[in-house]
Formats: sequence, structure tokens, C-alpha cells
Amino acid sequence: MTQRQGKMDSGVIITVLICTALLVAIGAVLLVDATGRRGSGLSRVYELDAVRLASFDPNLILYHEVGPPIATGFERSRALALGANGRFYIAGDKAVHVLRDKGTLEQVIRLASEPHCVAVSAEGRLYVGLRDHVAVFDEAGQRIVSWEPLGERSFLSSIVVARDDVFVADAGHAVVLRYDKTGQLIRRIGEKDPDRDIPGFIVPSPYFDLAVAPDGLLRVVNPGRTRIEAYTFRGDLEFFWGQNSIRIEGFCGCCNPANFAMLPDGRYVTAEKGLIRVKIYDADGVFEGVVAGPDELVVGGAARVFLSVEDAEASGFDVAVDPDGRIFVLDTIENTVRLFVEREKG
Amino acid sequence: MPQRNDDVTRRRLLRDGLWGACLAGIGGVAGFAAHKGQKVDWLWQIDPYKCIACGNCATHCVLEESAVKCTHVYGICGYCEICFGFFDPEPLAINEGAENQMCPTGAIERKFVEEPYYEYSISKSLCNGCGKCVKGCNAFGNGSLFLQVQHDRCVNCNQCAIAAACPSQAFRRVPADQPYLLKSVDHV
Repeated sequence: MTQRQGKMDSGVIITVLICTALLVAIGAVLLVDATGRRGSGLSRVYELDAVRLASFDPNLILYHEVGPPIATGFERSRALALGANGRFYIAGDKAVHVLRDKGTLEQVIRLASEPHCVAVSAEGRLYVGLRDHVAVFDEAGQRIVSWEPLGERSFLSSIVVARDDVFVADAGHAVVLRYDKTGQLIRRIGEKDPDRDIPGFIVPSPYFDLAVAPDGLLRVVNPGRTRIEAYTFRGDLEFFWGQNSIRIEGFCGCCNPANFAMLPDGRYVTAEKGLIRVKIYDADGVFEGVVAGPDELVVGGAARVFLSVEDAEASGFDVAVDPDGRIFVLDTIENTVRLFVEREKG
Repeated sequence: MPQRNDDVTRRRLLRDGLWGACLAGIGGVAGFAAHKGQKVDWLWQIDPYKCIACGNCATHCVLEESAVKCTHVYGICGYCEICFGFFDPEPLAINEGAENQMCPTGAIERKFVEEPYYEYSISKSLCNGCGKCVKGCNAFGNGSLFLQVQHDRCVNCNQCAIAAACPSQAFRRVPADQPYLLKSVDHV
């Protein structure tokens, strides 16, 4: 009997082919990134490295957080003001909540629309900035009067009460309005006027804050120029400071600082949106240090700022300062008030 | 008894062949017309409020040059001088120098409007859909830049490869008569 050499059984060939096909299929399933979890594969030049951009020397942090955060009771908190006797006035949703210092809800003032800003006078009157007008309430929360609406384009973003005046920042019209306490408009401040060397405010997003400094001048953020400008009550521009930089010394992004407050000694507490950080500048605008950076302020730290534009818009934290120099931060993401005090030196 | 002549004659072959060609032609024309007239009901699009600009759109499209491009809604834009969709986060100077630009392909064009406002537009031929500018604009600006599938390029795969690789499930089908999901000014 003779054997046929060099020939293979067709069954073996089919088995080998099927096995090879199976291996290729398994390899394809394992190697192909069907879910995208392995990333885009783009080089680093296509990445915006938020963590690197947000990093700064931790020795610059001069403050630390004290106590648990106080819940505002809002789904969307907007603004914070401090009143006498340790009361917090927090604007959000369609109300103003008045809280005691430990967070006890003392009073709820309901509103017909969303408030954007709030201020309290020395007499205890509450001035609430709604989209296009100011509403005034007495200490018991009863509405006294609503001022004249400012038109469809207006977006009131900040309000401050001085001794005889009320200053309102209208982000929609990029102007500061000076009123007397009866609601009579006295003056428009900060509109572009080359003859008076006033460049005009640039307000790309609805953050446009102001305060009255201990030196008696008005301070107004010019967000599009990332600086703070000082005006007399008559509307003369006296000086300005601030530089655009993502470095810790500067204000980052297109429009910052989002909010600020004045310490009793004339220093500034600034809050930036986007890359959320609260910092201290001296009375001349020289950077002193950090109250809290993204890692201290936001769950997820620097990476959080890049999730969506809603996150970025909600990241306009408000700040307020009490007579002892303690800094209260309104966390508009978690809807809480957080207290920061200066670290003991040495 | 007469015999049937089943032989294929030249004349019969030509006649039957002509009929067959005519029928095939009519069928082809009808099929082509039906195909042309068929409405594509659903297209792929990105929900800009879910997109996290991860970069996968640039590399997961079946086309060599991704069908996803950056889109700009001017109604939302702040026309900022210092636009973080345009400028590198740490620019050497605030001007249009390539070294100062965020976009690796130079796809964003900046045009002076009036002091201090600038208009930003996207060069679709240069944009690769990486979304780097979208991240910068979302984080620091008004979010007027966002990614959209461009339907003059998209081949509308049955299963979009980018949709499968989208970590935020931002892709969804949209009616063909409303093929884009644009951001609105009043959203925020």
C-alpha cells in the first residue's frame, strides 16, 4: 500500500482557517477602541492641560477654611451680602434667604423673578437687583418700592449701598448707575468718554461687580479688560489695576474677576470664574496671596472647570467680608456659604 | 404535421435582446429616481450641551478628515479681545502670531471689528474637530464655540464611529430637516 505524501486533509485546512478567523476577530474586539475610553490619540499639542494651568505654589495660600459649609437652601445661588448682627443675605432661585451665622434660616423673602444681586443698608433695608430693576424691602421683608425698570437689555449684576447713594451695575448696558436712596437716578458712570479718558466697560458675560472702598471711591470691575477701576462718585476715573494672565498673579480668561469684596484695610478679595480661585491683592493691586484655589474650592479641582459652559457660568463665586476680615465665599456650584480665615503666621 | 422551429434566429435574438435592454433601462431609471427621491430621515449630530470636547471626534471618524468641525454662534460670543478659544492660555503677546494661538491647525481667524472688539470665525478646511478651542471657550468664555457634524462631509454611517467612541453620549440622531443642534443665547 502506498501513502500519498505532501497532501493535507481538507478538514484540517478548514479548522485552521476557522481558528485563524476567530483569533483575528478576538484581536479586533480587544484592540479596536469601540468605546473611546482610550482617548483620541492626539498629541499633547491638542490638549488644554487644566491641571498644569491651575497649579501654583501652595505656600501662597494664606487662608484656611473653618467649619462646615452652610447650605443656602437654593438650587441656584446668585449673590451674598453680609448684614448687621452676623446675618447672611443670600439671593437665589426666586427668593432671598436671611440666615443667622450658624446657618439657621431666619427669613424668606419671596420674589416674582430671579434675583441677581443683593445689598443691605446700615438701616437694615434690603436692596435686591432683579433682571431689570431694583426692589427695596424693609427689615421685616415687606416690599417698600420697586424702582423704574431699565429696559429689556438690562441685566443687573451687582448692587452696593453707600451712605446716601445706591450704586447698581448693569451688565446688559455695561454701565454703573448712581441712585439716591429714593430711587432717583443721579448719574451714569463708566460709559465710554474719550474726553474724560474713560475707556468704557467691556462686559462679555453676566459678571460685573462693584464696591465702595474705605477710601471713599467706587471700585468697579472692568471684566473684559481684566482689571478693577476706581471712580469718584461723580464718575471720574482715578486709576485702575489688574493684568490678564493665567498665572496666579493675574486674572485669567476673557472676563474676570467675576466678583470681589473690600477688606476693612482697603485690600481686595477677588473671585475668578472658569479657573476658580479666590485671592488677595493689596490696596495698590499688588498680588499678596491666595485664599483658596481650584483644589480647595471645587470637587474635581481644576478639571472641573472644563466640563461645560454651564459649569463655567455657575463658577462665578461671590465673596463677602465681615468687619473682622473673615472671608465668606458663596459656592454657587454646591450652593453653600464657606468661611475662610487667615492662617496664623509663624 | 408542422414542426415547431425553436432555433434561435438572429432576428429573434436581436428583438429579445432589445426588449431586455429596454426593460433593464426602465428599471434602472426607476430605481435611480426612487433612490434619489428617498428622504434621509435621520442624521447624526452632537448635542453641544453634552459634548466635553474630548478630542475623539478628530480621530474616530471613518473619514480621513473628520466630518466634525468647530462652529461659532456669534449671538453668544463676547467678541473678546482676549479670547481663550483663540489665544493660548499663556500667550507671548496679544496678537495673531501663530505662537500665541491656541488652535494647533490655525483654523480660527480673528478680525478686528472696533476697539476693543474682535470677530472670530472658523476655517472649516483647517479645523480637524479636536475641540481644544471649545474647552477654552467653555471654561473662560461664553461657550460660543462648539463642535457640530458637518453634513456636507458626513457620510451618515448607520453606526457612527465617533458616536460609539463618545464618552459623554453627546451624539444623537436628529431629523434631516433640522440637521444642526446650535446653542441658544438664552440657554444659560
